[in-house]
Amino acid sequence: MTSLRELQRDFLRAVLEDPASGAALPVKSDCIAAAQRLQVYARNARGNFSSALESSYPVVRRLVGAAYFEQCARDFQREHPSRSGDLQPAGAPFPAYLHALHRGGEYRYLGDVARFEWLVQEALLAADHAPFDLHKLAAVPPGDYDRIEFHLNPALRLFESRYPCLAIWQANTAAEEPPVIDLDSAPHERIAIIHHGELRFHVLSAGEHAFLAALALRMPFADAVEAATAAAATAATAAGDFDAGAVDFDAGAALRRFVAAAAIVDFH
Amino acid sequence: MPAQLSHQAAGQTANPMPAQVGIGLRAQHHVDVLNGAPRIAWFEAHTENYFADGGAHVRALSAIRERYPLSLHGVGLSLGSTDPIDLAHLKLVRRALERFEPKLVSEHLSWSSVEGRFANDLLPLPYTEEAVRTVSEHVAQAQDFFGRQILIENVSSYLEFSCSRMREWEFLAAVAADSGCGILLDLNNIYVAACNHGFDPLHYLRGIDPKRVKELHLAGHSRVHLGGRELLIDTHGAPVCAAVWDLYRAALGLFGACPTLIEWDTDIPALEVLLTEADKARAIAAQSLTARGNTAQLITGSGGDIAA
Repeated sequence: MTSLRELQRDFLRAVLEDPASGAALPVKSDCIAAAQRLQVYARNARGNFSSALESSYPVVRRLVGAAYFEQCARDFQREHPSRSGDLQPAGAPFPAYLHALHRGGEYRYLGDVARFEWLVQEALLAADHAPFDLHKLAAVPPGDYDRIEFHLNPALRLFESRYPCLAIWQANTAAEEPPVIDLDSAPHERIAIIHHGELRFHVLSAGEHAFLAALALRMPFADAVEAATAAAATAATAAGDFDAGAVDFDAGAALRRFVAAAAIVDFH
Repeated sequence: MPAQLSHQAAGQTANPMPAQVGIGLRAQHHVDVLNGAPRIAWFEAHTENYFADGGAHVRALSAIRERYPLSLHGVGLSLGSTDPIDLAHLKLVRRALERFEPKLVSEHLSWSSVEGRFANDLLPLPYTEEAVRTVSEHVAQAQDFFGRQILIENVSSYLEFSCSRMREWEFLAAVAADSGCGILLDLNNIYVAACNHGFDPLHYLRGIDPKRVKELHLAGHSRVHLGGRELLIDTHGAPVCAAVWDLYRAALGLFGACPTLIEWDTDIPALEVLLTEADKARAIAAQSLTARGNTAQLITGSGGDIAA
């Protein structure tokens, strides 16, 4: 007699891969064949997976159209089946999958747009946090500032791309017909995505991006400023801008901006 | 073997949920519920939809929980799988239980994964001794982990295994007896399975120990034609049909007053439609229980009085 383990292995293969492969399963059949009965479960599994992916990636779906998205979801599920009883995390590898699928092609930006959507969703689902307590900072002796470790909002995500993903996302979450967007219009896009009561996007300079990335690694303030200054200088050099003023990173201004934006919410 | 706590849990017979009519809570209705304060006795939410660390849905459920009794209904524990139970999933469920303090916690008599791959659907089990042991051990493990009894719900099915050695209701009763869990009877699922596999749904109801039944579900289904015959599909996306209302009357006659849920998962209509279905359930319950002579059980507790 087939063990429960064997039965489940064969059943799942039939549901996720090919209902015809379930011919050997001990399934009763009458005028409805076993394969047709298994097909009901296969359709459910595909539909549930596709719906979850659709709710995570509405912009990608709008860009490629419902039919292509459906086919893409099916292929993606075959390659990356859900590994959890909660379908929400199943979409995590979708940006990398799209990136590899469309590398160099017409939809070469799609992986980055998907990554942007995923980070927006992560921000929306992250823990809420109280705003920064300025009184607490006022109690720190100025000599100790360099050693402070600032904490980022759990609902902050940093994004970088060579495509104008924020503009694409905004245009495709609006009700009206999206305008044509020049893919070369933002060759160094750096965004801080923050959900704090409402969803906000902050365009970052190279230095600001490096500063927040360093804080995310819990680097002390002085080290984060050093990383930001180096990144600002590298970006200025790459842009052919050797003006000393352009490579300066204004740590005080960055701190004020990110506290006001609820990007930085605490320290120790 | 199921652990000790499960047997202790079996002794907890008092139902913490009022024996009144609730509705399934869906995100589309969060704002209407919070702004409109509908007259309904309780809500049931899908546990996995509130796994996030924070965000709008978690905040909404916390606010709704302040005003209404809540039940959490899981779909992802895959209790019938031969894989070990997913500890990460158990922990997320436990966090939801601590956060939302539900009166009832339930899961399904099914499986959805093996060798780490998930179909994320409620797949059918063969009704064998081996499957009873597998499910019971996982149910007991979940109950021990949560420190409380859970309810197990029967699922709709579209096929039967020739290796089954008992009827579905015998299987459900055996799992409940072995694990100490309570039972959530989905009357629509019983009806769907009865039509698809040709048994009398009343036999199912009579095969269940009334003391174990802690909740009833009512929902709708759709019909497809395959191979020249009709197959009922559990969509939970339509009004409750007349035959399922009849089954509800029969269930109330057998089990007495019981928390009852109107469930709607696909093609979700306006909240008002669910509230109208709930009104109908209340009216039927009032009639049936008056006939049975235990109306008093139904009208105790706050909110959602019988519209009799």
